[in-house]
Amino acid sequence: MLTFIVRRLLITLPMMLVISFLVYLGLELTPGDAVSHMIDPEVANEVTPEQLAQLRAAYGLDKSFIERYGIWLVNIVQGNFGHSLSGGVSISAIVLDRLPATLELSVFALLFSTLIGCVLGTISALRRGSATDSTLTVVGMLGVSIPEFFFGLVAILIFALHLNWLPVGGRLMPGDESFIDHLPNIILPGIVLSLMMTAGVMRYSRSAMLDSLSREFIRTARSKGLPEWRINLVHGFRVALTPVVVLIGFRLPTLIGGSVIIEEVFQWPGVGSEFIEAVRGSDYPLVMSIALMSVFAVLMASLIVDVLTALIDPRVRLG
Amino acid sequence: MSQQTALSVKDLKTYFYTNKRCNKAVNGVSFDIKKGSTLCIVGESGCGKSVTASTIMQLLPRLSRIEEGSITYNSDAGEIAIHELERDGAEMKRIRGSEIAMIFQDPMTALNPVYTIGFQIAESLQYHTDLNKSQIRARTIELLANMGIPSPEQRVDEYPHHYSGGMRQRAMIAMAMSCNPKILIADEPTTALDVTIQAQIFELMEKLKTENDTAIMLITHDMGVVAELADDVAVMYMGNIVEAGTVDDVLRRPRHPYTKALLESIPVLGRGRSQDIKSIRGATPDPYDRPKGCQFAPRCDFATDACNQMPAEEQLSDTHRVMCWQHEELKQNA
Ligand SMILES: Nc1ncnc2c1ncn2[C@@H]1O[C@H](COP(=O)(O)OP(=O)(O)OP(=O)(O)O)[C@@H](O)[C@H]1O
Ligand SMILES: [Mg+2]
Repeated sequence: MLTFIVRRLLITLPMMLVISFLVYLGLELTPGDAVSHMIDPEVANEVTPEQLAQLRAAYGLDKSFIERYGIWLVNIVQGNFGHSLSGGVSISAIVLDRLPATLELSVFALLFSTLIGCVLGTISALRRGSATDSTLTVVGMLGVSIPEFFFGLVAILIFALHLNWLPVGGRLMPGDESFIDHLPNIILPGIVLSLMMTAGVMRYSRSAMLDSLSREFIRTARSKGLPEWRINLVHGFRVALTPVVVLIGFRLPTLIGGSVIIEEVFQWPGVGSEFIEAVRGSDYPLVMSIALMSVFAVLMASLIVDVLTALIDPRVRLG
Repeated sequence: MSQQTALSVKDLKTYFYTNKRCNKAVNGVSFDIKKGSTLCIVGESGCGKSVTASTIMQLLPRLSRIEEGSITYNSDAGEIAIHELERDGAEMKRIRGSEIAMIFQDPMTALNPVYTIGFQIAESLQYHTDLNKSQIRARTIELLANMGIPSPEQRVDEYPHHYSGGMRQRAMIAMAMSCNPKILIADEPTTALDVTIQAQIFELMEKLKTENDTAIMLITHDMGVVAELADDVAVMYMGNIVEAGTVDDVLRRPRHPYTKALLESIPVLGRGRSQDIKSIRGATPDPYDRPKGCQFAPRCDFATDACNQMPAEEQLSDTHRVMCWQHEELKQNA
């Protein structure tokens, strides 16, 4: 198992390098450089080219592209992402400040969609052809095809404004401290964010379950005289679980992408809404750093999924 | 029912209902399986062998049901009318696996890939016996050892993909035999295995039969297997048993043209290359569009007008019976 993880990490590393290079290239291609951003346009005319060159040299900007990439990379590995253009705050500090909110939201959405998706998909498969199954199938189809921000707006309209059950948005109210305190705040954005994923997991676990139930080991289990629940869950669902976990891994990037929009809709103070602000303010270093971290998060998540798959499927461990 | 009979099937009919059409997959079959003996069921693909087996276990798909007839199981506690039991009721579930067990054609797919062999054998013991955890484990290892699996203490914790095909079928047999069933139904247990392994599996089944007095119902295509293993033989064609009897009755004195054709379609060792092997002409009819009378008539060399009517079953001796209008003809022919 350990060699499996190490090998998997070794595959991830070059991927990270390539992506970081692309991100740096993107940064390089954006108009202007750090120095031109630092100088107030009003005084720009008074700065002499010599002064500019001096400044550039001080920031290492006169070095070659590859050299600068190397320095940047070393900094990043040490957790130093540089500074935001607006306000000059350290990017790591900004992200660290925003990260807990985003993690909270994504983990909630991930757990919710996995749990509810698997349960509904399994029910659907076990009752295939029934009214329950058809209803769930239609709902699932709607779920994967309607964009999340639309659900978000409708949900705010109904549950927050109309019924007044849940807050419109935001995360921490004054006086809120524990997770329980802001549970009402996370319910709407969390569920809306997870909807698409839930629908996807449901549809997929339904078909994985149907496939698993039609396999011959189910007939063997039945011929042993096992009780129905054991045949369906211990044998059927357990085997259907592997493809479902793989699917969840594939869909994780959509969850991360979706969180950007949902955080904006619900004014959730996470990395996503910071990202949108950074895009609006043309804060390229911040935009690129967040993009890089998201890619990193996706790669790590897919690593975790691979390890999980290996844990639940003895055949993968072998390869 | 005689004390020697383990299972008695009378006039059994199992129909499938698909797309509002009815497939009479098993259309009135009767046979007995005796304790400690092997009944072989032979016949071409699609003649209803597997459906007969699933009917006995009440493992039929939803769209099919027992239409008529009886299945009587002679348990230690008296006769049980299986056809009257609820399909997935408690009694049927108790019988499955503990009194009547089954092994399948492809041991590759019949075992669950994500559980160890030991887990899958232990499962049966857990539900059908009162053994505790450590006793179950000991019994599982003992079973694997009895089935000729080397170093069973380690093998018990391995997954099916660590086993070779032959070993997997041994593990399947260990699972089936775990609760000492009275009847073992084997549906083409060696079709997916190569010939040497095949012989080993049959040897194992012979051993079980004599040592445990298990009644075996062996489904096969292979007349060679029949000659080797069977005590009794039933030849099926399109949902009927067209001829049944002891091995000698059926293999040496076949009285049904279909049996004869089946026997002629296999090469005999030692007769050289030039022997004439006849394949059976034509193909099995569409189950939804059956011939009116004798099902085999369109392919039969002996067919006459009389064959437009379903032949009655005729008892030729105590053990030998046949369903054919022309069986006298075949007697002279033989
Ligand atoms: N699940 C099913 N649904 C519908 N029809 C079925 C089903 N299983 C079997 N049948 C039909 O029942 C008939 C008998 O099939 P069965 O599987 O018993 O044949 P078989 O003798 O076991 O053949 P083989 O040697 O290929 O295993 C066939 O006409 C088949 O189409
Ligand atoms: Mg079959």
